Amino acid sequence: MKRETISEHLEAEGISRREFMSYCGVLAGALGLSQVAPLAASGLPADLGRPATVLQRNLTETVARALETKPRQPVIWLEFQDCAGCTEAITRSTSPTLVELILNKMALNYHETLFAAAGHQAEAARADAMEKYAGEYLLVVEGSVPVGDPGFCTIGGRTAEDILREAARGAAAVISVGSCASFGGLPAANPNPTGARSAADILSGTTVVNIPGCPAIPEATTGVLTHFLVFGELPELDDLNRPTAFYGTTIHDRCLRRPFYDEGKFANSFDDEGARKGWCLYKLGCKGPTTYNACAVLKWNGGVSFPIESGHPCLGCSQPDFWDNGGFYQGQSSIIGPPGLGSAATAVGIGAVVGAGVAAVNIAKRRDKGEDS
Amino acid sequence: MNWTDFLRFARGPLMGAALVVFAAGISYRLVRVVALGWSRGRAPARAADKTVGVLRTYLRGLGIFPFIPWVKQTFRGNAVTFLAGGLFHFGLLVIVFLGTAHMLVWKSLLGFGWPTVALPIIDGLAAATIVAMVALLINRLTHPVLRRLSGTSEFANLIVVFLPMLTGWIMAHHLWFRYEVIFGLHVASVALLLVWIPFSRLSHFVFYFFSRTSHGIEFGKRGVTP
Ligand code: HEM
Ligand code: HEM
Ligand code: SF4
Ligand code: SF4
Repeated sequence: MKRETISEHLEAEGISRREFMSYCGVLAGALGLSQVAPLAASGLPADLGRPATVLQRNLTETVARALETKPRQPVIWLEFQDCAGCTEAITRSTSPTLVELILNKMALNYHETLFAAAGHQAEAARADAMEKYAGEYLLVVEGSVPVGDPGFCTIGGRTAEDILREAARGAAAVISVGSCASFGGLPAANPNPTGARSAADILSGTTVVNIPGCPAIPEATTGVLTHFLVFGELPELDDLNRPTAFYGTTIHDRCLRRPFYDEGKFANSFDDEGARKGWCLYKLGCKGPTTYNACAVLKWNGGVSFPIESGHPCLGCSQPDFWDNGGFYQGQSSIIGPPGLGSAATAVGIGAVVGAGVAAVNIAKRRDKGEDS
Repeated sequence: MNWTDFLRFARGPLMGAALVVFAAGISYRLVRVVALGWSRGRAPARAADKTVGVLRTYLRGLGIFPFIPWVKQTFRGNAVTFLAGGLFHFGLLVIVFLGTAHMLVWKSLLGFGWPTVALPIIDGLAAATIVAMVALLINRLTHPVLRRLSGTSEFANLIVVFLPMLTGWIMAHHLWFRYEVIFGLHVASVALLLVWIPFSRLSHFVFYFFSRTSHGIEFGKRGVTP
């Protein structure tokens, strides 16, 4: 059976050629992000502008060609121990065309939150999709998987781990969206009561693309989906399997407050003069220097702002175990869980006792030899 | 273990362990030194004003300018040790206490912080300190007398202090490594330093005060020294 191509599908939905090309432009925009570095895509600095436009035009054509020849991309979106925040971020992102386009017109077969169907009907739809598109569908995971006590997350009487393993078997690629699915996130925070693990932990041996963030930046998610849609393969990944296009630089590398860091001008509290003047938030606990993400470039709410711009230090939400990386408002050079007074006193005591013991033995030896000290 | 994990390990359990070993080690050394006892004065001093003696010794120690007669002697002895050594100690203290990142380390341990010195100043000082340390090393290797006086542990001392200095500087300049990699190495090198200090001559930052004080007491005495 020959499946209709994406452009045929759009045409059947009453979308004109003109609109189709403008969609391709939107998609190329998302791709542009994953092709050029985020900086170039943001239109900054000016000298990168022209090559970016040229690239953009070529990309639009590439996208158009891909959509004319490729069938719709099936996507199965699983949610486990999550807050649906990553889904929320996507659906409320200010590029609705993009989301609409990808999740409604080009893809998506199963999504617990967005699906109209519910209960066994929805589960049946998932089983159908998995069978029909075996080996072709993209599996998106949101939320972590409780391994310690599987009872914390079951759907239709089956454990999250079981569902994930089964769904991953027929997937063309697996994508973790958000810090929970990528690294365990909030559910895995100390003491991790459910024994939460990331999707990659469960599916060892499979390459799982991680798009961490709490929530993940919607443009990063749609960018990766678009990349797969157009090129049929995953984008370039770093050592933590994050797409380098979005996670290639740290927040600190691209931060608008960076000149103040370099000058040593810091806000010491949230309402002192430094804070009002927009100085660096390092002393207030900013984790920007070790956090890889695109917030400083893409920003949030369609490029309106991002936490550091609004006056709050970066929490490092896209880094592994960010809940347990020292206090949010503690400097990022601080020692994590330093030994308390108790262990310090014990250490001093042990040192003193051993020292006294060795000294006593030496003194006794000297006395035996009849030396006068 | 990837580098992000390594950094967390270094900032957490590794530093914790190093601090505990450091505390135990310094306490051990202190007890050992105190237990060595005082040698008995065989000739009773005619007059002894120990406090004045101690004060005078410390004050003399503060005068570090080569035109002062007794300093001139030391200076002539080995100008490189004097200048580079002085610069190194000054740089080390300012960097470790007045660098912003380092103040935050102290704050996480002590619970309070203090104003810090701007990064460009710390950075210039760090560069000068690194140069000073290289000069000290070369001096040790080439000076005919020093060379003979230096064993493995003297060179090891320099290197163990040099590692945090160098990794810190590379990190601040974002050179060659990803930030979390060099950050992890920086903290690990500090852990090594902490473990090394009590069991090497680097513990002189405690015992220096012991020797100055006991010398001061001796200097305060008047009479025949047997
Ligand atoms: C647990 C202890 C320590 C931690 C967590 C720590 C952390 C840091 C951090 C976060 C920076 C800032 C890098 C930047 O600006 O991007 C830094 C810089 C630096 N650190 Fe440390 N450090 C520690 C101890 C030490 C010690 C003991 C020394 C010296 C022996 C040292 C020497 C330096 C130097 C030379 C710099 C570079 C300063 C500059 O060039 O601006 N650090 N350190
Ligand atoms: C109040 C604190 C300190 C005082 C008064 C002090 C004093 C001295 C003095 C007088 C010397 C010269 C000794 C000699 O030439 O044999 C020296 C050498 C040295 N000190 Fe310190 N020191 C202090 C802290 C430290 C600390 C905290 C470190 C490192 C962690 C350190 C590392 C060194 C090293 C590596 C040398 C040998 C330099 C060389 O190779 O010539 N010092 N110190
Ligand atoms: S990463 Fe954050 S926003 Fe996304 S599901 Fe987990 S807790 Fe929610
Ligand atoms: S606010 Fe944070 S990310 Fe920005 S310069 Fe300061 S430390 Fe770096």
